[in-house]
Amino acid sequence: MDRALIDSLSSTFDALRVEVPREDRLTVQAPRDAVMSVLSFLKGRGYDHLHMVSCVDWMEEGQFELVYVLSAYGTGQDSASNPGEEIILKTRIPRELPTVVSSISLFKNAEPYEREIHELFGVRFEGHPRLTPLFLERDYEIPPFRKDFDTRQYVEDFFGSIPPVGEEDQDV
Amino acid sequence: MRELELYFGPQHLGMVGNFSITLKVEGDRVVKADANPGYLHRGFEKLMEQRSWIKNFPMVCRINVVEPDSMELAYATAVESLAGIEVPERAQFIRSIYLELARVGSHLFGLWAYSNMLGFDTAAQWAMYHRDLVLDLFEELTGGRVYHIYIWPGGVRRDFPEGFEKRLVETLHSIGGCVPDYDACFFDNRLFYDRAAGIGKITREEAMEMGGTGQALRATGVPYDVRKIEPYAAYDKVPWEVPTREDGDAFSRIWVVRDEMIESVHMIFKLLDEMPKGDVYNRIPNPFKWRIPEGETYVRCESSRGELGLYLVSDGGDKPYRVHFRTPSYPHGLTILEKALVGESISDVGNIMISLYVVAPEIDR
Amino acid sequence: MDRNQLVKWLKAPAKMGHKYSLHAVYFCTGCGIIEVPPSITARWDAERFGVLPTATPRQANLFLITGYVSVKTLRAIIRTYEQMPEPKYTVGFGSCPINGGMYWDSYNTIKHLDRYIPIDGWIAGCMPRPEAIFVAVTHLWTLIDKDMADGYKRYRKHYAAYRANQEKVLRGLDWPPLFPVEEQ
Repeated sequence: MDRALIDSLSSTFDALRVEVPREDRLTVQAPRDAVMSVLSFLKGRGYDHLHMVSCVDWMEEGQFELVYVLSAYGTGQDSASNPGEEIILKTRIPRELPTVVSSISLFKNAEPYEREIHELFGVRFEGHPRLTPLFLERDYEIPPFRKDFDTRQYVEDFFGSIPPVGEEDQDV
Repeated sequence: MRELELYFGPQHLGMVGNFSITLKVEGDRVVKADANPGYLHRGFEKLMEQRSWIKNFPMVCRINVVEPDSMELAYATAVESLAGIEVPERAQFIRSIYLELARVGSHLFGLWAYSNMLGFDTAAQWAMYHRDLVLDLFEELTGGRVYHIYIWPGGVRRDFPEGFEKRLVETLHSIGGCVPDYDACFFDNRLFYDRAAGIGKITREEAMEMGGTGQALRATGVPYDVRKIEPYAAYDKVPWEVPTREDGDAFSRIWVVRDEMIESVHMIFKLLDEMPKGDVYNRIPNPFKWRIPEGETYVRCESSRGELGLYLVSDGGDKPYRVHFRTPSYPHGLTILEKALVGESISDVGNIMISLYVVAPEIDR
Repeated sequence: MDRNQLVKWLKAPAKMGHKYSLHAVYFCTGCGIIEVPPSITARWDAERFGVLPTATPRQANLFLITGYVSVKTLRAIIRTYEQMPEPKYTVGFGSCPINGGMYWDSYNTIKHLDRYIPIDGWIAGCMPRPEAIFVAVTHLWTLIDKDMADGYKRYRKHYAAYRANQEKVLRGLDWPPLFPVEEQ
């Protein structure tokens, strides 16, 4: 990983925790307000490929962790970035009032990821144009990917309550 | 002219896979497209949090039915990187050969879908027949036609059976011998050019800002391939090329697929020549009591449709804490497709969708 | 063709016609669809058994439900099934429609498909091979011969119960009942 990038990251932003777990990997822990500026800083440095936006539910700590994985396409003339390196940007938000600013203005492909996280975790993205349901047909009391949603219990309660039809005249 | 809303799919002959698009049309032209996935959502990532590390192998391969093998590889490498397991040299080669074979099978399936969609029935029948020959090889190697569960943490499940290499080479030669026929019948056919050239065009900049990978990006002239930029398995042991085209339309994407298949077959021959002898499997701890140390990892590999990533978190328990797949069809089917459909005619919706190789189960997971 | 076939043709020509020209709806409901293209193309050639895919449910009489059924797909399946003309036969393909298969604890897949639409036969396995489709088709012939493939009749008879189950899962259906439902 490029030493200069790490130095300029920590000099531009305070309150960042930067780690290098592997030589081609950089993990950045940022506060919620700094996410957009860190993303746009990294995009300016040639990391123009957003792999995905993910979310982890740390229920015991009462937090959601949003994860942005970035790398470079490596086509820009001046970019010193190597496409074989990934940057994982993480931010923690409280579980009670989970809102974060949408990153669609920087990366267009963040749109379906944020829509999915809104549906499956219940995180609100400010400035997202359509936070409509993406996958699910039914409504769930708790968004189903949260850790306190017990899918086995749900299946037993809900699908178990549906009676079989016409069993009395099946003689085979 | 009046705008109409048209529901395209899921039960529609022009739709491959259980997927639906809501189109706003003006006459025959698409004004706006809204992808509507979710018909295949099973909540895989939630189910995987409730199964032990080893029991997840039958799960991961079912995320994508067309090419389950790259899913196995992504999960196996992620588990290996968290648990610190080494893979023997021979297993790396076998993995590469196996994945390239899967790529050929998957592309042949895509070719079937595409040529069937355009009405080239002869090429479609050939492609499906040749894919079946590849499936026969998989059946001999792994015991399964569709789902193989062959890649395991620490290597692969078993070595090549006796005489397998010879049959592999024979089958690939018999498929490769038909490339001139495919060319004459389909790829060099004027009708294919008329139907595909200039259709579903996306520029290089658009593809990159919408997260395109795979042939969607390589058809715009960017040689972006994870096998080159972050080599895994044995892809750095033999020389090979990344085929690209310049135009970024459906025609270029299908040609990239064709060139990629040929490159894959050549790569298999080179890998077979270089393959060392030795073990194919490093022992892992008792899978019933297997706990993986706390940590997180992101791994990626090149599937037949583009870049496949996996974000895996362990909390030190016997089950994964969080699994998230970055599947290539996700940006292709939800972001790029919506853009590429605008301004095209209704009859080209399936054309564009299959040329982007959108596989619905992989979007929904 | 044995001697009985000729008698059967003379006795019930329509039934024999249905039996030997099963037109399947082209609907990829799940991952089982991966074995359908090989079956209908040159190598396995389902047309030997009179099975052909058709574009619209209006011209079909066989519904292969290929694989797991998510809640969202169930709506499309019911609509497709109700559009098919009678007599119609449904076959569940793979383990998942039978009892949920390996998605038994998934919150979004249907566990027992025969509680929502009637099923005439099942093909077990994940993935069933193309041969299994052909075995199922020949079994279906026997069932049709004996008038035991009566799913569409059961659907008429128990429509109220089926409709109630469908409405329970899908939270209200946005189309009117296919058959009159008596007030109870």
